[in-house]
Amino acid sequence: MNIAYFPGCSVHAMASEYDRSTRLVCNSLEVHLEEVTDWNCCGASAAHSVDHVLALELNGRNLAAARRMGFDKITTPCAGCFNRLKTAGFELKSSGLVKGDIPDVMHLLQFLTEQIGLDKIAASVTRSARSLKLAAYYGCLITRPRKIAGFDDPEQPGSMDRILRAIGAETVKWSHKTECCGGAFAASETSIVIDLAGQVLEAARQAGAQAIVVACPMCQANLDTRQKSIEKDRGIIYGLPIIYFTQLIALAFGHPVREAGLRRLLVSPLPLLKKSGLA
Amino acid sequence: MGNRTKTAVVIGAGPAGIEAALKIAQAGFRAILVEKEAELGGTLKQLCSSFPRWEDPQELLDSKILELQACPEVAIRKNTVVTAGTPNGNGYIVTLSDALNAQSDEVLADAIVLATGFELMDISIYGEYGYGVYPDVLNALEFEATLKEWKLGKGKPPKGVALFKCVGSRDRSKGNPYCSKICCMYTAKQAGMVKELFPEAKVYVFYMDYRAAGKEYEEFVREVIEKRHVRYVRGRPSKVLCEDGRLLVRAEDTLLGLPVEVLVDIVVLAPAVVPRPTTRRLAQMFGAKTDEYGFIEPDRFNPVQTAARTFFAGGCGFAVETPLAQQQGAAAAANVIALFRLK
Amino acid sequence: MRDPMNPDYRPMRLDEIDDSLQKEIREKCGVDVEMCMECGKCSGGCSNGHVFDYTPRKVVQLVKLNAEDTLINMDALWICLSCHLCSDRCPSGIDTPRILDYMREKAYRKGVTTRPKIRLFHELMLSSVQKSGRISELPLIFKYNWMSGQYMKDAILGLKLLLKGKLSFHSPGVKAKEDIRRMFSGSSAKRTWGEP
Repeated sequence: MNIAYFPGCSVHAMASEYDRSTRLVCNSLEVHLEEVTDWNCCGASAAHSVDHVLALELNGRNLAAARRMGFDKITTPCAGCFNRLKTAGFELKSSGLVKGDIPDVMHLLQFLTEQIGLDKIAASVTRSARSLKLAAYYGCLITRPRKIAGFDDPEQPGSMDRILRAIGAETVKWSHKTECCGGAFAASETSIVIDLAGQVLEAARQAGAQAIVVACPMCQANLDTRQKSIEKDRGIIYGLPIIYFTQLIALAFGHPVREAGLRRLLVSPLPLLKKSGLA
Repeated sequence: MGNRTKTAVVIGAGPAGIEAALKIAQAGFRAILVEKEAELGGTLKQLCSSFPRWEDPQELLDSKILELQACPEVAIRKNTVVTAGTPNGNGYIVTLSDALNAQSDEVLADAIVLATGFELMDISIYGEYGYGVYPDVLNALEFEATLKEWKLGKGKPPKGVALFKCVGSRDRSKGNPYCSKICCMYTAKQAGMVKELFPEAKVYVFYMDYRAAGKEYEEFVREVIEKRHVRYVRGRPSKVLCEDGRLLVRAEDTLLGLPVEVLVDIVVLAPAVVPRPTTRRLAQMFGAKTDEYGFIEPDRFNPVQTAARTFFAGGCGFAVETPLAQQQGAAAAANVIALFRLK
Repeated sequence: MRDPMNPDYRPMRLDEIDDSLQKEIREKCGVDVEMCMECGKCSGGCSNGHVFDYTPRKVVQLVKLNAEDTLINMDALWICLSCHLCSDRCPSGIDTPRILDYMREKAYRKGVTTRPKIRLFHELMLSSVQKSGRISELPLIFKYNWMSGQYMKDAILGLKLLLKGKLSFHSPGVKAKEDIRRMFSGSSAKRTWGEP
């Protein structure tokens, strides 16, 4: 299967392990990711925050590029990019300014669960993630707002839980699945991240999770890189590895730890993964 | 046809249906009272206390059952559902199926009274409240059962209870746009009962409004707030989270304009009142119309009539409280009696 | 809690308030604030609501009261995360993040903000996109720290990330840079960072 792939700006450095593990997983599933030609930044929070038209134009260009490549579907691993691309698609369609069809945008989680299917994923597992107790963290934008995302449930989602169970892991029931991590304020108003990401970590801890699994570079960065500061702020040690779901799937498919980029996480998942037999 | 006593088939033996059947029979005609459950009473059976006078609903039910026993012209058919209704001259041939004996029989009906009642919306779509996810998030009827347990001295006493109104009502986004009318009153009742049983418990009612339009209704709610010390917080709750093994409610106190949180053991949701699926099916069978939600649509000038020989009463028309269901049942009976006395 | 009312407040004359802002929001944002039933479900779950000077419900109320000045000068404008908890839960489907985006854009063009660091970050992000079509994280962070006077902010964290290869000094950009330049200089949005 071929699909247009919008990686997003963080693949070059901050989230390159997400991109790498995504490609490993897609290879194993015989999915060919065709990178959108000369793609540009989706505008992230900055564009829609201060310039609505710019946000539309930036993403219009990406959607047009995918369409020129002959694709009617695009997938992206980043929740922020997913929201911006899809929102632009909706607005452009309803504005009537664009002729012809606009490619449909799917978050990677949606693509894997809906277009590939859990059966195929389970069938490719060579190393089970059995004995891992995970908190599936969806964050804000994969399922919200429901009119745009049109995927899973914004309050009690289950797609990531199901995909993790398909590779053998156990997922915990917890209340902060879609609570915000602090999003784009990581650098410009870090106190917000300390507050909100801290609440997510605390909820995961109370639910008995050994690690938090994410599907967005922003969430990963906030929960991982700020964990030490949050620990200091709250006086509680969390030690919760924040792992991209594609990294776990890659491991379950038999790929080695280094290839899946697991050494790049600040809170190391290696002790946990070694104990569970995935590393 | 001449000497056969005219017969009405009353479908549903809640307060509305019982009242209709009794009046029709006491006026000298026959009523066949069809009830799908093993016992009479409908939703009334499940209720613990009532508004506005804190009376025991069981006493009403017992009284009505005595009246029915003294009225042989009412033929009571329990465990029975109506599976077919075919027009027959000036009436219907109604097929009754007895679930217990797996038998069906046919009766001649000269009039139909629909009294199938209402049910509560499935609110698991309100994932933000965790219904169906957290075991201590209950809907209003489940909570009536909890109240009955507590009254008998069973079950675990709560330290804190939060009651949410308008879950699925007054919601154009996920639920129904209408107001379900009875929830403000029964929520006050439930909250007041918790305080009566456990004076030390912290009880909160989260509201947008409280609608107390009835005789002694406003006084009832004020008593719950002022004498029983239930704290009313104006704000539709946004989310129920878990914290330290208990339930954390997040809402805005809109009167103050600030977000607030409260830690409780139980969250009670007041779901929208919706018609039962059977109502639509029966309506079609007996020439009645239903609205877009499935509630029976009344004749413009006769609020308990819906077709030439089909009348209705109680919750199948819209949310009602018990006395109103009885009133409508009696009104439907009056219509049937007038019809039966036509030469 | 900050008191949003100024000390010279006289009671508003509701009959003297027109609905021009309400109309504008309806036309430009597709949001009809009349649908708001003032329930507060938005504010109750707002991620940052506890640090907002005006909760989402109040924002909608301010639109009804034509309080454009208050909206442009508020702090909540800049710390809204656009997490959409409010709009998704709203029983009337009101898109409050869209209203805030719209008012924030107005505030931005007026040069008004209560959070200069956040505004700076948005600007630097967009500058990076303007230059190369993509965001280059490390140069962005360096510039931000320098220009906001927080020279040593996250220095240790930055070092850790650098050693892990999570930050790079240069990221590839878009090839067709004219496409991007055109977007930034288009007259459809009078931009304040000037011609490229």
